[in-house]
Amino acid sequence: MQIRISNCLWKNLLVVSAFTGIFCSGVLAQSSNDQPTVKDFQDRIAKYIASRKQENVAHDSSASPAKVTDQQKQAAQKIRHSRVGAKQGDIFTPRIAAYFKKQLEATLKGPNGAKVRTSLQHAEPLPNVPLSVNQKYPPNLPLQSTPPTLLLNLPRLPSELQYRLVGQTLVLYDTGADLIVDLLPDAIPGDVNKK
Amino acid sequence: MTRARLILITAIWAICVSGAQTQSAPLPLHANARQQAAGDQSSSRSAGGLDVRLPLLQNSVRFAVIGDSGTGDRDQYEVARQMEAYRQAVKFDFVIMLGDNIYGSHSARDFAKKFEEPYKPLLDAGVKFYASLGNHDDPNDERLYKPFNMGGQRYYAFRKGPVAFFALDSNYMDPQQLDWLNQNLKDSKGTWKICFFHHPLYNDGRHHGPDVDLRTQLLPLFQQYDVNAVFSGHEHVYQRMKPEKGIYYFVLGNSGKLMTHDFRKSADREKGFDTDRTFMIVEIAGDKLHFQVISRTGETVDSGELPKAVPTPTSGERR
Repeated sequence: MQIRISNCLWKNLLVVSAFTGIFCSGVLAQSSNDQPTVKDFQDRIAKYIASRKQENVAHDSSASPAKVTDQQKQAAQKIRHSRVGAKQGDIFTPRIAAYFKKQLEATLKGPNGAKVRTSLQHAEPLPNVPLSVNQKYPPNLPLQSTPPTLLLNLPRLPSELQYRLVGQTLVLYDTGADLIVDLLPDAIPGDVNKK
Repeated sequence: MTRARLILITAIWAICVSGAQTQSAPLPLHANARQQAAGDQSSSRSAGGLDVRLPLLQNSVRFAVIGDSGTGDRDQYEVARQMEAYRQAVKFDFVIMLGDNIYGSHSARDFAKKFEEPYKPLLDAGVKFYASLGNHDDPNDERLYKPFNMGGQRYYAFRKGPVAFFALDSNYMDPQQLDWLNQNLKDSKGTWKICFFHHPLYNDGRHHGPDVDLRTQLLPLFQQYDVNAVFSGHEHVYQRMKPEKGIYYFVLGNSGKLMTHDFRKSADREKGFDTDRTFMIVEIAGDKLHFQVISRTGETVDSGELPKAVPTPTSGERR
């Protein structure tokens, strides 16, 4: 017996499976209104990466921790000098900042919101850490892990950069140079970090 | 010499002698009556006076596991001495590190005090260490530090015989890493697949608890590609959880740090130990994983043989 499935049923099945996938992974659909903002953000990131590449930052493995640290210091110094005058909001412009806050809030209220909140509370939140753009990330502090569902709902970054949560602040962090590229204060509500 | 001065000198001498003894006293090791050659299949044997509970089969894959080790304190050194004693008996040739490999500052002196010196006998014997990153680690330094064998990456994979290992960075599980894991698990030809990373997906410890959002993203991949065992640290205790959907979960975050009396009541834990530091030795042979968890003082706190489970779906989800 041949089973026939109508076009309409196929379409409905596709919609249901797409919705189920979104629900399970916690990835939120993006509005087309946000696309220019996301594009603006990506362009700013691309510009940063291009200027970083010009500095020819070396990252070689070594059995000597001193050599690795020295390499990192030199990289940070080169990039810092090339960005003299960089200030908070250069990348997280008001419009981009509003988009990020909206995405973070929607994730926290979304299907995986409760799990994201629990993970944030278990991530050893760091309150009152002094952070400045174009400066080194404060040394010897534990890293606050960033819930993966949050990361799935933010624009992807090249491997040189990471989003890092420090208390309520979202930090755009250059991993190889150990440098804070930009900051977004009050990115997540204060009560989220409280157990 | 006055009497008071004589008493003072005697007291200082006594303190020095007791201090020296503390540093050099051999660790208590559990003796076992039988001593057998490698290749035998007994469940418990003595090798050099150690209580070895691995079968030591030919062509098996043997490794050790440490987590939250890098304190540089005396306890870490004592665990390391037990590891070296067991290495001589068991002949494991690599160690997986579950994160928090170097606590505090990350100067060259720290790397020496918190890694190179405690594990010197192992390093000298050619044992390789494969690190994953914890929340107290500096990813920039450590991924480029050659003795950690991370190849400059935050996450990476390697093979040992039929066993495929996947070292993940649970501090930052971004979409790129999830894509990488998906592809590498899919392509893996390993008959055993083992993932290790810092933050546990299941954890009965009161201090941190499980990372439920991480679990939401990783578990579907682990199940889809038949991962067999998962090792994590972070909570400063030892735990063997009940297998979940055919996957064995171990938490070992007490090879340097310790959080005593940290467990909450739970039916999900098969074995827990939170009163001293530990490390683990593992042997994989055929379709069995043999393991032994040894404390800082040489006591075997858990051991057993786990079959390679056929994944079976279970209903409900743990906390």
